[in-house]
Amino acid sequence: MPVTKILTAGIGEADLRDIKVYRERGGYKQWERAVRELTPNDVFEACDKSGLRGRGGAGFPTGRKWSFLPKDVLPRYLVCNCDEAEPGTFKDHMLLEETPHLVLEGILLGAYGIQCHHAFIYIRGEFKRGYEIFMKALDEARAAGLVGTNLFGKGYDLEVTVHRGAGAYICGEETGLLNSLEGKRGEPRLKPPFPAIAGLYGAPTVVNNVETLAYLVPILERGPQWFAAVGTERSKGYKIVSISGHVQKPGNYEVEVGTTIRELIEIGGGLLPGRKFMAVQPGGGSSAAIFEEHLDYPYDYESMAKAGSMMGSGAFTVFDDSTDFVKAAFNLIRFYTHESCGQCTPCREGGHWLERVLHRFVEGRGLRSDIEMIRRIGHTITGLNLCALGDSIEPFLLSVLNRFPDQFEARLLKETVQA
Amino acid sequence: MTDTFDFEALASKLKPKCDVLIARYERPRSALLPMMHLFQDEQGYVSQEAMQFAADRLDLTTAEVEATVSFYSLFFRKPVGKYMLQVCRGLMCELRGAEAILAYFREKLGVGHLETTGDGVFSYEEVECLAACNRATCMQVNLEFVYDLTPAMIDDMIAGMRAGSYPVKPMAQTAPPGRTWKVNADSEIGTGGKSPGTRTSSEPNNAGGVGDSSGIIMLDSFVTKDISFTGRSRERLVRDARGVAEIIEENGSRH
Repeated sequence: MPVTKILTAGIGEADLRDIKVYRERGGYKQWERAVRELTPNDVFEACDKSGLRGRGGAGFPTGRKWSFLPKDVLPRYLVCNCDEAEPGTFKDHMLLEETPHLVLEGILLGAYGIQCHHAFIYIRGEFKRGYEIFMKALDEARAAGLVGTNLFGKGYDLEVTVHRGAGAYICGEETGLLNSLEGKRGEPRLKPPFPAIAGLYGAPTVVNNVETLAYLVPILERGPQWFAAVGTERSKGYKIVSISGHVQKPGNYEVEVGTTIRELIEIGGGLLPGRKFMAVQPGGGSSAAIFEEHLDYPYDYESMAKAGSMMGSGAFTVFDDSTDFVKAAFNLIRFYTHESCGQCTPCREGGHWLERVLHRFVEGRGLRSDIEMIRRIGHTITGLNLCALGDSIEPFLLSVLNRFPDQFEARLLKETVQA
Repeated sequence: MTDTFDFEALASKLKPKCDVLIARYERPRSALLPMMHLFQDEQGYVSQEAMQFAADRLDLTTAEVEATVSFYSLFFRKPVGKYMLQVCRGLMCELRGAEAILAYFREKLGVGHLETTGDGVFSYEEVECLAACNRATCMQVNLEFVYDLTPAMIDDMIAGMRAGSYPVKPMAQTAPPGRTWKVNADSEIGTGGKSPGTRTSSEPNNAGGVGDSSGIIMLDSFVTKDISFTGRSRERLVRDARGVAEIIEENGSRH
């Protein structure tokens, strides 16, 4: 299946940061049409019928997420999650910097769809350039009368506030993000209540990913059937896949959901010359690796779950036969240990403990009993935490430990002394 | 530390901007992060005075402000160098040769992770995935991205920064930086990451929240310390290591 260009259309060809260029290409037409001609419910219906699912990682149906908002409770908020930090994901970074008006139009449509009057975008602290680009885009849109009060003379008010993070992966978790937006430590909250009931400032809130909201623009333009016609049975539409690792042309590629793993590797330019395929991590640092037998699986939410992994945020990392999987696993464990907020004991201590054990292996001082222990610690972390960070610690490690036990056994402490 | 810096002047200069920020949100506290960015941009770090100012302005306790600020790794609570070099150590960069790049930086700068050079020009940190894996290996200089790093680029970059000709604006420097900008992070600095072998039981794990469980650390350091010291035979160390593993296993199986 070929690479398509919907959200990515025009990137690298035109300066989409300029509102004039964006509007010449049909930009903000859907926003104007929504406010002038459509009811909020029309926008909701389009979103719901398209089968669009959250592109930030969890894959929750967007329409259903919106539908959880209690009726007629105001104020309510839309928050666009641009705290992209999942290892291997770099699509929101690109959208924010290259096509900020599309990101903004998606936010506006989402806000209208849930009938809120104040929307936020939470931008990762490291994306300083993206923040500046988006601020300029927002100013342009405000000057053009696309954001503000009494829009298009229809009496609808909408303000958008840009909030910049300051370096914390956990703020990508929606309740951690809301705490951070409230000026607190970005620690995830106990759920329920979910944000739809009690989110920002205790009010009903929807948190959607950048890519999810951006897809509202083409969905409104071409109709929900257009989006729903593509993809697999329960995973519809298109997805930007961030292909990285051992491929010749790493990059963001927009494809139909359901493109196979093999095709995606080809789209990424194929393996480096003379190298052999070993594994793919199909959904970011949090996902388990999948292997040769999964090469013909379609890349969608269900198939990835069937393969024992997940589609996640669309980070697609390829590993060839030069990979040291012990080090790779250590790297990710170190990441999760570093980014654990520390609220839940299994995540804080378990990750920390695993990091130490793995470090022994990296240095060639692993113990045979560690291997069993890794399996046991892994299972005592998952499912016991406030958020999914703890559950993200062990999938990759366990998948590569089970698949390549020889790489781990080669790092055992050499027992040269006879007992 | 800020004897020579006129904080009052900065505070009166930034006060109107802070008021604008506060007005953007339904609740004032939401302006805390943007305010701290503002002060850090001007002062080069988030000073005690800045945190006190925010606490007063937002009607928070200083403890609330410090607890929040300390959660975020991009807020530097002590002065840093003119160029903050944050080089990606994430897995996707590692697959494309980050280890060699990190080693090259450490060698060229003569400092390790979370350290500032003696001349106060460079601060160096090995950071997590920067979301630019298509152009690995990557880094940020004062939050501006630099992609597809090579040793030659690093040479040019460092020379340019020393000469003052590098195209990225230097950080504001209103006080001389120390060896590190981390508070209570001696266990981390200079190790090229949170290397588990270098911590001792008295040091916190800096993972936020509660400190580390010292029991585990004691056991762990027992096993992982370099086994070159004298007084014990290698045979006994291996036996001890197995014994420790059994203790850990027993503890683990109680779950």
